[in-house]
Amino acid sequence: MLLELRRIEVNFGKVAALRGVSMAVSASSIVTIIGANGAGKSTTLRAISGLAPLNGGEILFRGERIDGLFPNKVASKGIAHVPEGRRVFPEMSVEENLRTGAFLRQGSRDIEKDLRSVFEMFPRLEERRNRNAKTLSGGEQQMLAIGRARMSKPALLLMDEPSMGLAPVVVDEIALTIKRIASGGVPVVLVEQNAELALNLADYAYVLENGTVSLEGEAGRLHDDDHVKAAYLGV
Amino acid sequence: MIELLAQTGLNSLYAAAYLSLVAVGLVLIFGVMGVINFAHGELFMLGAYVVVALYSGFGVPYILVAAIGLIFVGCIGILMEFTIFRPLRDSPLGGLVASIGFLLIAQALVSMGFGVRMEHVPPVTQEVIVFSEKVRLPLQRLFVILAAVMFLSLLWIFLRRTRFGWALRASAQDAEAAALQGISIRQTSLIAMFVGAGLAGIAGVLTAPLISVGPHMGHAVIVAAFIVIIVGGIGSLEGAIVASVAYAFIHTIVTTFWDGVIADITGLSLMLLVLIVRPTGLFGTTDRA
Repeated sequence: MLLELRRIEVNFGKVAALRGVSMAVSASSIVTIIGANGAGKSTTLRAISGLAPLNGGEILFRGERIDGLFPNKVASKGIAHVPEGRRVFPEMSVEENLRTGAFLRQGSRDIEKDLRSVFEMFPRLEERRNRNAKTLSGGEQQMLAIGRARMSKPALLLMDEPSMGLAPVVVDEIALTIKRIASGGVPVVLVEQNAELALNLADYAYVLENGTVSLEGEAGRLHDDDHVKAAYLGV
Repeated sequence: MIELLAQTGLNSLYAAAYLSLVAVGLVLIFGVMGVINFAHGELFMLGAYVVVALYSGFGVPYILVAAIGLIFVGCIGILMEFTIFRPLRDSPLGGLVASIGFLLIAQALVSMGFGVRMEHVPPVTQEVIVFSEKVRLPLQRLFVILAAVMFLSLLWIFLRRTRFGWALRASAQDAEAAALQGISIRQTSLIAMFVGAGLAGIAGVLTAPLISVGPHMGHAVIVAAFIVIIVGGIGSLEGAIVASVAYAFIHTIVTTFWDGVIADITGLSLMLLVLIVRPTGLFGTTDRA
């Protein structure tokens, strides 16, 4: 297993956000976490990257404990996190944002190569490379946030609500990108409110309800599950 | 009238020079660490006392004193990070209160070591550039102006062109997102404290021969520095540099034509105006403040 969560618990004050969540992510797959607002999806990702400290359980990445590490240390292990709401650096140019994603890397030739490949993936970012990130549209900012994560050459990519607030045509583009990243050998953990999109993209899915995993299985199978259909697909 | 304007312009340039060095450091620390360093004026004061101790006291060459002042006060900044701000990272208000404590300690230690009377540092140079009968620029003031331009330019290049400069800007704009890129907030905080404190220190070193040096001299600059923080807003460290220079100019011009109290009132009014019209500050984009 590339990533393993073992009964992790996260509390916000007295409120339990995650109560014993276990998950596993294998190499080369898209794993999705779906669920209602406040079910603990984002918190799960934040726990992995060290932004939300654990109150119990453990997290293993490549067999090594990573819970309790500072977020920058988790990043240095090869986990990139595209946070909810994109969180690009507003007063930095597109190119500076991307290069900041490569902060931990040495070797400028490799970095230049990856910068070119991000621009190939998102030509619109290249057109705007000297513009400040705050001037970009929501879709462009999402591309920038994904590109920034790619610049760290991650071994695992966490994505939090990449489709949020985007026009359908842009959502399709982002979905295609996620597929390409995964087929390029970087496994993705995808948190989505758009369950239809998530289940179509993913290989494996977890359903979170009130901070616990209520259901898990192959994405195709969950897509046909009656409970999932009624609760998340609006069928 | 032209001569008065020219002389005022020169005075403003000089005041803007050292004030922006102090304010920029405060803004840098606030931007990167989210904490207000109330003792920042004392760092300026400590820089001046490095001159009193080494230059007046032992006759160490001034240029060497400047280098020592920069590094010494920069290290005081690092000391503050380790003893105050890092342990209180999760509580910005705690950091502020502790920095007030540091302010009192610094003033007390200096008073014990040097006494509370005003020190007068012998001038480094007596030369004055005479443009005309009423327009003159003492060489020491020119020195302050040139040094400020140099240090602010270096800071600008550091922020714009270097990997750690980007890390500082990224932390100031979104600390959490910066951490996700592998940027260590501990590292950026150390850099911000060293650079911010060092700049305040060098401002103290530069102005010491021109003003009266006393344990409480930090008060005068800190109010101005705070106004600059609020007017400039956070988010853009470069914006803060521009705001520091602009404010220092306005303050000096008002001081010259009216007086210092009116200048402070003008500054505070500007601050209120900005808070009403643009609560995030002129250059601010984040709502962290």
